Amino acid sequence: MSETHDAPDTQSGNERFVSRRDFLRMMIGLGVTVAGAAALSRVPALSELLAQEMALETAAGTGDHGATHGNGSSPHRWGMVINLRKCIGCEYCVYACQAVNDVSDDMRWNVHLVDKTETGNIFHMTRPCLHCQDAPCVSVCPVGATYVRDDGIVIMDYDKCIGCRYCQVACPYGARSFNWHQRTEASGYQKDWGSAEIERRPRGVAEKCTFCVHRIDRGLSQGLIPGVDRAATPACVNICPVQARIFGDLNDPLSPVSRAIAEHPVFRLREDLGTEPKVYYIPPEGMAL
Amino acid sequence: MSTFPAQLSQNMRRISLLGWWVIGLMVLVGVGLVSSIHVLIQGLGVTQLSNQVPWGLWITVDLSAIALGAGAFSLSTLAYIFRVKTFRGIARMAVFVGLVGYTSAMLALLMDIGRPDRFWHPLVYWNVHSVLWEITMCVVLYSTVLIVEFVPILFESKLIRSRLPFAPRLGHLIHRLTPVVSILGLGLSLLHQSSLGATYGVLVARPIWFKPSMPVMFILSAVGAGAAFTLGLTLVYENLSRHRYISSKLRVYVASFAGLTLLAYLYLKVWDFLATTYYSHLPARASAQSLLERTTPYGASFWLAEVILGALLPAIILLTPRLRRLDLAVILAMVMAIMGIIVNRWNVTLSGLIVPLDWSPGVAEVFSVNAYQPGAPEWGVVVGVVAYALLLLTLGLRYMPLFSSEDH
Repeated sequence: MSETHDAPDTQSGNERFVSRRDFLRMMIGLGVTVAGAAALSRVPALSELLAQEMALETAAGTGDHGATHGNGSSPHRWGMVINLRKCIGCEYCVYACQAVNDVSDDMRWNVHLVDKTETGNIFHMTRPCLHCQDAPCVSVCPVGATYVRDDGIVIMDYDKCIGCRYCQVACPYGARSFNWHQRTEASGYQKDWGSAEIERRPRGVAEKCTFCVHRIDRGLSQGLIPGVDRAATPACVNICPVQARIFGDLNDPLSPVSRAIAEHPVFRLREDLGTEPKVYYIPPEGMAL
Repeated sequence: MSTFPAQLSQNMRRISLLGWWVIGLMVLVGVGLVSSIHVLIQGLGVTQLSNQVPWGLWITVDLSAIALGAGAFSLSTLAYIFRVKTFRGIARMAVFVGLVGYTSAMLALLMDIGRPDRFWHPLVYWNVHSVLWEITMCVVLYSTVLIVEFVPILFESKLIRSRLPFAPRLGHLIHRLTPVVSILGLGLSLLHQSSLGATYGVLVARPIWFKPSMPVMFILSAVGAGAAFTLGLTLVYENLSRHRYISSKLRVYVASFAGLTLLAYLYLKVWDFLATTYYSHLPARASAQSLLERTTPYGASFWLAEVILGALLPAIILLTPRLRRLDLAVILAMVMAIMGIIVNRWNVTLSGLIVPLDWSPGVAEVFSVNAYQPGAPEWGVVVGVVAYALLLLTLGLRYMPLFSSEDH
């Protein structure tokens, strides 16, 4: 009886118990695997390569999960500074934007609202698209119709957009608008505030502020400096009567934006979300940073 | 001899109850068609959607229809991958319900996108970082799986067999692929059913949505309610035709499976509430939650419609031997589970969107609560989609061998 119990049943694997030898073999195998893995992970070449890759990513500013185009080869990184200490809430920037970009009257690319500091100071707040480096709208777009250019500008490909509106849902700043209607009329602001410089968007696609990318691209090809030369500068910046908006190349330490950022305390909207906006705000009176 | 009206009324008296049901559904499909044409011509401006609330009723219908179609993959998995033979008796019905659910969702989705003519763009222009891209790919591929699974059933039906003599053999050949196709279907379903929850769960800007439990809750609720839906429909059909199509053993199996999954969903749902709302305090989430409690019936509908009526009671019915023997109780459980899914998908979508995004740096209350009530064109399209689903289910049960016992 005891003999039949002790003899391992080679026919049916289920009834065979783990023998001391099997157990030892498995432990040795496990030990070799772990040692091998540890040795491999200490190979300097691999970790070095990884570190290099990560450094590259950080340097290119593309450590995001969005579809960035190209390899970050543009020397420029366009950004804006909005001085809330100066803004008087005249809304000229809103109107110029609507006219130049031929934005439908029922939407705003650039919005103005009145807010209050903790100390009770009323201040005027304006908000274009913030052109986030790690833009939520870009990572959620199912067709890559919106993307971060090498120079940091977030733009739309209206021919790709399917109109799912996930970008609108994802944008933390409400900066995106959808073309609910077929446009029949030009922007009502064109009479007084400028003429359309870009094509009107069709019904059923999303759109948003472009930093007047058409002016920047054309200006650069003519040797102009965006943020310095008016023809290469966004309409909202040009029209501001109190110079509350400053535009320029964040990569250039001598550009108007870089100097403003160096000279003033600045903040960005909802830094906590990690979107890395390229629009900086100089706080209004009564707001501590 | 007889006058035309008399003839008409005589003819009408000859139409069976089923005939009237089908005619009624076709009228409602017509309502949907008219509404859809209206939306396609006029654009999404005729809906009550806005830049603040860009998603609404149609998304709720998409998500619910896909969730209710989840019985297809879960029951086929049990039948063909885990090889629980008993489940084969309901696998065909489940596949058919899945096909109806997915095509309904696609109809609603087609209406919902601003450029329906570009519905194919995600297949060509890839953004692999977008959860919505992954969903689109999976749903398209999975619909293909459903078609491959459905073709053998179609080819076996009298309708096709009498016209194409080679159909049954071809169908049988395709049917032999079932185990492979089921594995593919399982993978694709696990991916997109949960990713639908991730669509909301990954958005860092929306404190109500942003949590890792979203995808898991979506798939658990879908598997539970989807199985309950397939079982409930089967019982409705059995009662209408006064004939039993599934064994009592299978009925117990499916009911237990649906009930246990609903319990798992409840467990996660309650823990999610405790972890994100009760035991912790994230300022943005807390203020959004209190805004919802103040301005919407969100709190009441969450506990009453989603938790108690939508999941707990159906689970109790489906897991209590005495109750699940009663046809009416199981059908009631199905109705409650469907309601639970729809209310949940609506609550998830709208609760995240009506809480305004607070991006302004000051302390003034500059953003008001966003409002949304679906308009007539939206309801019209939904009526059409639901009628389409019911029509397809009716015709399928009437003309397709969905419960043939020869399945081996």
